[in-house]
Amino acid sequence: MASPILEVKGLSKHFAQRRGLLSMFSGTTAGTIPAVDDVSFTLAENETLGLVGESGCGKTTTGKSILKLMPVTAGEIHYRGQNITSLTPGEFRPLRREIQMIFQDLDAALNPKMRIESILHEAIGLREPELDAEGLRRRAYELLDLVNLKKNKLANFPSELSGGEKRRIGIARVLAVRPKLIVADEPTSALDVSIQAQVINLLRDLQDQFGLSYLFISHDLPLVELVSHRVAVMYLGQIVELGMAQRIANAPRHPYTSALWSSLAEKRSQEAVTGTAPAWGVFDFERPSGGCRFAPRCPVYAARGKPAACTDPQNAPHLREIEPGHAVACHFPL
Amino acid sequence: MSATPLLRIEDLRTYFYSRAKQAFIRSVDGVDLDVARGETLGIVGESGSGKSVTMHSALGLITATPGVISGRVVFHDETPRDLLAGLDTSARLERRDDRIMAVEKDNRAWQKQVERNLDGIRGGKIAMIFQNPKAAMNPYETIGAQISEAVRLHTANKSPAEARERALHWLDAVRIDSPRLRYDNYPYGLSGGMCQRAMVAMALAAEPRMLIADEPTTGLDATIQARIVELLEELKTRFGMTMVLISHDIGVIARLSDRIAVMYGGRVLESGPAAMLLEQSEQGHPYTHALLASMPRTQNVKAGGRLPAIEGEVLDTINVPRGCRFRERCQRMHDGIRARCAEQEPELVEVTPGRRVRCWLYQA
Repeated sequence: MASPILEVKGLSKHFAQRRGLLSMFSGTTAGTIPAVDDVSFTLAENETLGLVGESGCGKTTTGKSILKLMPVTAGEIHYRGQNITSLTPGEFRPLRREIQMIFQDLDAALNPKMRIESILHEAIGLREPELDAEGLRRRAYELLDLVNLKKNKLANFPSELSGGEKRRIGIARVLAVRPKLIVADEPTSALDVSIQAQVINLLRDLQDQFGLSYLFISHDLPLVELVSHRVAVMYLGQIVELGMAQRIANAPRHPYTSALWSSLAEKRSQEAVTGTAPAWGVFDFERPSGGCRFAPRCPVYAARGKPAACTDPQNAPHLREIEPGHAVACHFPL
Repeated sequence: MSATPLLRIEDLRTYFYSRAKQAFIRSVDGVDLDVARGETLGIVGESGSGKSVTMHSALGLITATPGVISGRVVFHDETPRDLLAGLDTSARLERRDDRIMAVEKDNRAWQKQVERNLDGIRGGKIAMIFQNPKAAMNPYETIGAQISEAVRLHTANKSPAEARERALHWLDAVRIDSPRLRYDNYPYGLSGGMCQRAMVAMALAAEPRMLIADEPTTGLDATIQARIVELLEELKTRFGMTMVLISHDIGVIARLSDRIAVMYGGRVLESGPAAMLLEQSEQGHPYTHALLASMPRTQNVKAGGRLPAIEGEVLDTINVPRGCRFRERCQRMHDGIRARCAEQEPELVEVTPGRRVRCWLYQA
């Protein structure tokens, strides 16, 4: 494997939970919510790492932390061997061009009062301030061409574009600064299937063309399996399994991954026949106080007669490699 | 199908006048659908294809002033009843070449007529569950109170104590644990999946003949989606519920439907038995085929990890082109039919028993 472009070590992000109005002033907190808790992974050049999990598991928080869009509580982020965690905004500025994010909600990410032309010119100007009006226009055409959009869209406002077109503008804007690493947060979540396929193909072409690395955040499992080289599965702020996409999808070792994959409506209909699908009750998010976080929902935990190791606060399972390139955080991997 | 269907939609058209664009948005443009007793009809289509608007029109939920509906929606209960009867008297349409050119609508009379047509049906005989349960429920009332209200409005249980018992029964039936505790919860106190269950309970509380589920799993997590699908499946087997399931998620549709209708640009392009439509064969409508092929599934991946996308954009329902609506994105159009595809829209004709396709490929 090539040298990693991104290395995340023990990343944690805790949000303070406040109770009542007065505590906002007094600064007292009622505890913290560990949105991301001790997450480590690497991303190689030209690789796509998929990050999957249910909503609230900390996928987006991880992505935003890498871009330094929010301060981290603990841990280190290395970009091309350089620790960027403690960089000041000024020091980080040149790197920001290389690390970009495609946001989930493009209605919020694109300024509704700006024409597409100005949106693109602004981004191009950041990377290449020396360009004159003619150069800006040429580069904007180039970008539109890259994302397969017609030139006549330049005069439009974002609200006049369809979902797929907005998504392409979002991608074109990111490409304007010639990034190396792109954090794609649910890039196809609001799109129709037919348009989703177009955007996925586009992202793949761009990766081949520019040697981009993607951190692909999504809750759509079949999609992640398809676009990623490796997949990390998150549960309540921690990575519970990390491995090659094919292995994660077809031979998962963590009970959560297995449950997640088998919960796909289609796959389940086949499994319901063979009776291997785990039966769960209704649950809300249960955050156990110690030990394995998945234990209350875990079919293996139940089947093994609730072993004490799973709920022992001193003995929480850590991500360990059980076969080359495949790590899992579970006392009893499948 | 020999028996009379429970719900029959004939030539339904719902247009919205857009002041900004000075034009009609033809959201639903001549839809015919039958829902037989006890079956689940799945309606698939991309956003803007008119699948939700079709069912919303049938239940008088199109309240916007510039919305105009025509056609017939007949609900065959003891006596057949046209849910759109008399609406044309309060809206005057000016037609030219089969197109509505102008509209004058008396909105109050229209609303009154809708109330009259749907009295006892909407919420009672036909219940609906919506995409966003938190927005569809009243945030100021507990879920228990809202379910009891449905019980008292639509069933013979009139006393508050009886209604409470029934409400608890339904909360239990949708597998909400400790229903007695949850009864006093407000919608914001429930997770998305729980809230969707509460909404299903509310719909069932009226003991309807038919359930319309509009994107019941959209926006929920994969594991929660699976639970909701299981719940709907149970309703089918346990209560023999007639259902119309609207979704853009083909996985959900595949799991639950007996019959499927594929909509595109306000029209049904294909309908037929679920199993027949879902097998990825060259039979059937090119759109259905392309839609199935563009799903992110391993067997769909082509060389270089590419998905076979449908090029182009979803149909613009303002300037609906002449001829076939899918023509511009169609990959199977050949020179033999090209002229006809551009000139005239094909009819929905039966190609194999039970399967009807709107495509010139099958109408030599």
